[in-house]
Parts: sequence; structure tokens; C-alpha cells
Amino acid sequence: MVKIYVVDNGGQWTHREWRTLRDLEVDTKIVPNTISFDELIKDNINGLVLSGGAPRIGLEDELGNTSEYLEKAAFPILGICAGHHFMGRFFGGKVLPSKTPEFGKIELKIIKQDPLFEGVTKKSIVWESHNDEVKILPNDFEILANSENCKIQAMKHKNKPFYGLQFHPEVEHTEFGEKIFRNFVKICEE
Amino acid sequence: MFNAERFIDEIVKKLKDDIDGKALIAFSGGVDSTVCAALVNLAIGKKLIAVHVDTGYMRKDESKNVKKLMDNIDLNYHFINASKEFYSALKGIVDPEKKRKIIGEKFIRIFEKVAEKEKVDYLVQGTIAPDWIESGGQLRDVIKSHHNVGGLPEKMKLKLIEPLRDLYKDEVRRVARVLKLPVAEKQPFPGPGLAIRIIGEATPERTEIVREACDIVEKEIEIAVKNGLMEMPWQYFAVLLPIKSVGVQGDKRAYGYVIAVRAVHSIDAMTCAFSKIPNDVIDNISTKITNKMKDKVNRIVYDVTNKPPSTVEWE
Repeated sequence: MVKIYVVDNGGQWTHREWRTLRDLEVDTKIVPNTISFDELIKDNINGLVLSGGAPRIGLEDELGNTSEYLEKAAFPILGICAGHHFMGRFFGGKVLPSKTPEFGKIELKIIKQDPLFEGVTKKSIVWESHNDEVKILPNDFEILANSENCKIQAMKHKNKPFYGLQFHPEVEHTEFGEKIFRNFVKICEE
Repeated sequence: MFNAERFIDEIVKKLKDDIDGKALIAFSGGVDSTVCAALVNLAIGKKLIAVHVDTGYMRKDESKNVKKLMDNIDLNYHFINASKEFYSALKGIVDPEKKRKIIGEKFIRIFEKVAEKEKVDYLVQGTIAPDWIESGGQLRDVIKSHHNVGGLPEKMKLKLIEPLRDLYKDEVRRVARVLKLPVAEKQPFPGPGLAIRIIGEATPERTEIVREACDIVEKEIEIAVKNGLMEMPWQYFAVLLPIKSVGVQGDKRAYGYVIAVRAVHSIDAMTCAFSKIPNDVIDNISTKITNKMKDKVNRIVYDVTNKPPSTVEWE
């Protein structure tokens, strides 16, 4: 059984991420972002999800021990919203308040095919809830998807299995949300 | 995948271990508290005492029906009419968070009284995942204080038991179906009730207006669903707004309240899309409310926001 933990950054949908993984028969658990990398390794995890959160952590401060995970992990990491922001900043990108924040229903456009989006149509409905966004792409990353008001809806590290998503694949109203999670689980299994 | 049968087995075993003596359940008659009552009943039987409080902010005939339900599922129960107490506690209160907190505390104080009389140490609540997620704490922001979590007073004598804490409504419904409970498909109704469907002060007079309007919205939508005109929404109701607008009735000027109609689609309340109600249905609702309540209401609006950015209820 593949084991993927959800790091809680205080998001409204952290528990939904846990639930989506559990529904996909993944061995999963919500852990605080203060857990050390060694503890994660001890549990032999195959992947990690970094949840979103209300504080504008993407812009300032640390996000618990997230830096350590991003520095040391060889397993896949999926950053969502605030988790995605932190990933962007950690690798040298820039996170700023959105000119037009997005809430609720938005159309996502995939611009580069990737195993994470296998089976997802080029245009699809996703659910959003953000005030900030990754404005300048970090080094060694490429953009996978965008929306009308946000250029970096999905990004991927070129050499590591790290993904960042601005939208929320874990909620019911994101059209291919479960599919994206299923793909991420597959990536973790490999 | 969530397995309702397995959940029932595990939780009943756990409840048997956790509850040593008598327990009291806060019983609203909704899906969550009914499932909870049934589970605890399986674990400790007659040592469970259900308490239903009529807060005065219940929907039309709701408390009457809850009484029947408690008889039907053979619960040991207390029925408490506390409308007057709740109305006076909310006198002059406009802030939605204050409303929720006052209601949460009132509930607990009533339960404590019953607990003392019955010598009970445990309070069972049908809290589910969105309740504690939205109530905030530590890293999480307070979206709204659910009366059964963020509305709880800091000091309370009863020990809390919350068997459904990690479940969402769709999962609770699955448990309800396995247990063959008649409430499995009932729409959610918040603990603070109509008090948070009245923007501004929740006076008895304004409660009557929103109670009637909610009843009309529910009936009309249920008829439309039955006739195949639309899908059953997750939740559907009326909200009384604190503004008045000008109208004309029988060649005379009218100046009455505005009612907002809300209907949303969801499976777990964590995200929602507003329901695409057919125009004819919304037309019927509008005409029925404004005709039946002509002295009070002369304008109806339909809420077309998703969650986020809005929430299901207005407060």
C-alpha cells in the first residue's frame, strides 16, 4: 500500500486532501508542518502533500519544517495553494498578491502535458481560493497550466518529482480533481 | 473508500469502551445527531438520554416531528421548550459570531441542567468534519463558530463524545442508510437554526417571517424535484435581509422586507455551487412568498454565489 502523508498548513481543505487519498486506498495521515524530515523518513512515506492555509505564509515566514522537506526529499511532493507558494519561493521564485484573486469556479488550461494531468481535458473546471500567487517562476521549474487571471496554476520541477498547484484538486467541484490525485498517487508508486 | 458497515462496528466498540455510565445526546433530529444517537444506542442502550431543545428558531413543525422521530427510534428523551429563553438571550444581538456563541453556550447550560438531574457525565454531539474545520483554532482561521465546537463555552462540566468527527455529511448519510434511519436524506439544518437566517436582530416577529418563507422554499423545491424539473439541492432555504424596499400592491405603495432564496449543490459543504433552479420554479417561490406574506415581504432575490467565496448560510 502506497503511503502519502498530508502536511497541515491550516487549510480549510487539508482534511479533504486526506479524505481523497483515503478514498483512493492510500495509507494516509494528517501531520503537523512541525514534524521533522527524519520522522517522515522513519515512516517510509512514498509521497507528501503540502496543504494550503489561511496565513499568507507564501509571502513571509517559514512554513514549519517545509524547507527541510523540499531540501532533502527524493519522494514526490505536491504543494497546494500555500504549499505551492512556499515551494515557489523556496526554489527562488516570487510570490505576490494576485492582481485578480480567484475564488470558486475557474477554467484551467493545461499548456504542457504531464503524467499529473493524464486523462484531464485541456480545458476543465477547477475550484480556487487564493489571495496570492507565484508570480515569478522559480529556477528549474516549468509551467504546466494557467487560467485567465493566473499564469502559474500548475508548475513542476524539471529534475525532481515536485509539483505545485494553485487550484484545489481535493474538492468535489474540481472536475478532474480525483483524477489528478490518482495520477499523483501513481507518480508516488513509481 | 469509506466503509459504513466497518465504521459502525468499530465506532460502537469504541463507544462501549469510552462511555462509562450514562450519556446525554444533543438531539436536533437532523442526520448527524440521529446517526449519533443510533450508534450510541447500539453501544450503551437505555443509558443514553436524548435531549431536544426547541430554541424557537426551528423550522415549521420541526420540533413536533422530532418528537415523533424520538418515539419512532425508541429513544429515552427529554423535550425542552426554551424559545423564550433563546429569544431574550438574542435580544439586540446583530453580530453573527455573537449569535452563534450565545446559542452554543445556552445549549450547553440546558444540557448541564439535565445532566445534573440525570447524573450524566458525557455529552454526545453529532459534530462532523466541516464543523471543527470551519470553527478554526491553531493554524486554521475561524470561518464561523459552529455552535457545537467554536460555540462551546471554555468551561464545561460534561465530557464530550463526538463519534462522527472525521466524517463528512455524505459519509454520515451512508451510515444512516445502513442503519435504516428515516432521516438519511434530510437536508442539513444548522444548530443555531433560523437565528442565522435572519440578518440583523433575530426577533420573534422576524423569525416568523423567515420560518414561513423557508417553508415555502422547501415545499416548492421539493415539488419541483418530484416533478423532475430539477435535481435535489444539497440545501435550500430563505434568508431574511435587514433592508426594506418599495413595492406596489393593489395600486398602493408598499414598503417591505427582502427575502433571499438560497439553494446550493454540494456533497460535503466544503465547496458549493449555487443551484441552477428553473425560472418557473423560482417564479413560483417568489409569487407564493410575496402573496402569502404581503404585509411583510415584497421583494425576492436569488443568491448566485458559490462557496468559496461565500458560504452556504449567510452568517
